[in-house]
Amino acid sequence: MALFGTLGIAGSGLIANRKWLDAVSDNISNINTVRRTDEDAFQERFVVAQAVDYGSGTGGVRVARAEFGSAEGRMVYEPNHPLADAEGYVKYPDIDLGDQMTQMMIAQRAYQANLAIVERSTNMYQAALQLGRG
Amino acid sequence: MTSPISGILPVGVSAVTGVAGSTNADAVTSTSNGDGFASILASSLDQLQSVQKTADGLGVQAATGDLRDVTDYLIASNEAKLTTEMVVTIKNQAVAAFNEIMRMPI
Repeated sequence: MALFGTLGIAGSGLIANRKWLDAVSDNISNINTVRRTDEDAFQERFVVAQAVDYGSGTGGVRVARAEFGSAEGRMVYEPNHPLADAEGYVKYPDIDLGDQMTQMMIAQRAYQANLAIVERSTNMYQAALQLGRG
Repeated sequence: MTSPISGILPVGVSAVTGVAGSTNADAVTSTSNGDGFASILASSLDQLQSVQKTADGLGVQAATGDLRDVTDYLIASNEAKLTTEMVVTIKNQAVAAFNEIMRMPI
């Protein structure tokens, strides 16, 4: 275990939550990405978090991999759209904006919580070093 | 098929251990039963050097725009600051102990 281990662990939480925010922003930015009906729709991005085992010497979390949602999308009737097929349908990604906003709030609060841990643990270590100033 | 965004590429713990793994607490504990205080001071100075080197490297990356994650630099500089304080505290204790001995009446 490193001497100031809490900082590294909280730092891994910051990185994981930032990646989650990256995924959410990618989903929201592509929420209106239209495709032809014979193409795959934009797939929702998910990040898979994985705990780094504390017993292995370093704790914290890491992003193991990215998962992708359904490529089916939802069919929308827009006959005037340049990408519309013969029946007048186009394909929108199957992403719920409310769900993405909720995920964004959770990730943002978790990011803040990890930053608070960095700040508090810094104060804690400094308080411990005050012992040597006596 | 769109290309996946670069931000969610899977990363190992190397980013974390690059900061935290550079310090070695075992070195401090193992020397304490050997040469005592002097070697603790020496090993903590070595540790300070490596932590500050990590923070400096990330600072250069931040300046050149190569930094992957802002928090990497934040954590590293925080750790360098704390390690500096720790080494200074240990040094002060060493000097205080020396002065205490020098004041000893003969």
